[in-house]
Amino acid sequence: MKHEKEILKWLNKEISDEELLRLKETENFKTLHKISHYSTQFDVPKVDVEKALADLKNKTKNNSKRGKVISFNFKNLYKYAAAIVILMTTSYYLFFNNEADFNTYFAETKTFNLPDNSEVILNANSEITYSKTAWKERRNLTLSGEAYFKVQKGKRFTVNTEIGEVTVLGTQFNVKEREGYFEVKTYEGLVSVSYKDTLIKLPRGTIFKVVDGIIDTTNTFDVNEKSWLQKESNFKSIQLRFVLAEIENQFGYKIETKDLDLNKLYSGGFTHTDINIALKSVTIPLQLSYKIEGKKITLFNYGE
Amino acid sequence: MADKSLCDEIYFNEFYSSHIQSASNFAYYKSGDKNTSLDLAQEAFIKIWENCAKIEFAKAKSYLFTVINNLFLNTVKHEKVVFEYAKSSPYLDVNNQSPEYLLEEEEFKEKLKRAIADLTEGEREVFLMHRIDGKKYREIAELLEISQKAVEKRMSLALKKLRNKIDGI
Repeated sequence: MKHEKEILKWLNKEISDEELLRLKETENFKTLHKISHYSTQFDVPKVDVEKALADLKNKTKNNSKRGKVISFNFKNLYKYAAAIVILMTTSYYLFFNNEADFNTYFAETKTFNLPDNSEVILNANSEITYSKTAWKERRNLTLSGEAYFKVQKGKRFTVNTEIGEVTVLGTQFNVKEREGYFEVKTYEGLVSVSYKDTLIKLPRGTIFKVVDGIIDTTNTFDVNEKSWLQKESNFKSIQLRFVLAEIENQFGYKIETKDLDLNKLYSGGFTHTDINIALKSVTIPLQLSYKIEGKKITLFNYGE
Repeated sequence: MADKSLCDEIYFNEFYSSHIQSASNFAYYKSGDKNTSLDLAQEAFIKIWENCAKIEFAKAKSYLFTVINNLFLNTVKHEKVVFEYAKSSPYLDVNNQSPEYLLEEEEFKEKLKRAIADLTEGEREVFLMHRIDGKKYREIAELLEISQKAVEKRMSLALKKLRNKIDGI
């Protein structure tokens, strides 16, 4: 096609007058002119811009296909971090927590075996905790209250209490740790007791006692009389308050006293099976009377 | 200019208003279907709105036409595309009312219509964007993401074919 450039320029309205004159002289400019004219007259659907835009907004709202841009949020990060921490700690406690915990309430005893088959009898209102995983390396437990131990021979066996620490190799002994009172009785073998800076070897049939910080090692006891294990408690020259505390532990009563000397020494015992018999066996030798009201016991001097 | 974002509704609306007609026309040149052209254009705008963060404002125009082209390729069957003249279409010589002249012009228009239908899609869209939308070659090149040379080539080819058909050479 001749004059191609000029024709394109002309259509684009960029042609100079001079070029246009020359172009008009070409043989079929007439056709071109008609094409140029009529080709602009085709009908195209006219868009109502405002209406179309409103439609578009509706569509985008309705199908909300629009990907939400979620900005990185540190609050979320903390949320996830917290969730992970909780997940990890709970799973730790579920799967790896090896803390064993045994406890008894008032008037309750419990017998159980430790992982090495050592036997423990836990007296009322007492608690024993130990680590299951660490047990193989160290036979180490914590006692609060009173328990009787029948230890299998083996590595050191340690009973930790708030007051003192008892270490043995294989033996039978009783540890009692109550408010202001610490007592170890050896039924078999040799028990070593460390109390503060002192270390005491305790042979069979001896008793180690600390009352309000004062050590008493002179006592012996009858190894065949396993007191509380046979559902009774026995005492030898013990202040009355410890005896009363033990009654509270064994029966779950609350004891109140009226004008009594709580440091009065008591020797004897009480049964764990009957509160009345137990109270009588304590009160009669000390010339006291008692009264039971619900779960409360009141002790007073005889004759008042 | 660089700060304009299509995610900003003000700029999007502005962009939409200035291009919806030519986008709809473009879809129409492609399909020849009056009923679907606007829908196709709308769909393309929705795509742009959805991807507003990824599209540079300056490139949005050509993106729009590319999307329409793709949508057309995906959805519309390639049929012979025939356009109709607007009802009020003045003749070249408005003063000549002789029946011979009017008949001659009507015949020409009919020939032109058929000739345009015979163009290739590429030629037709360039030709009509130029004639109807009044876009310059450079603008068309930008929208279709082809060179201006390519646009001019298509235009020349279209003209040549139209003239040949009409003059019966």
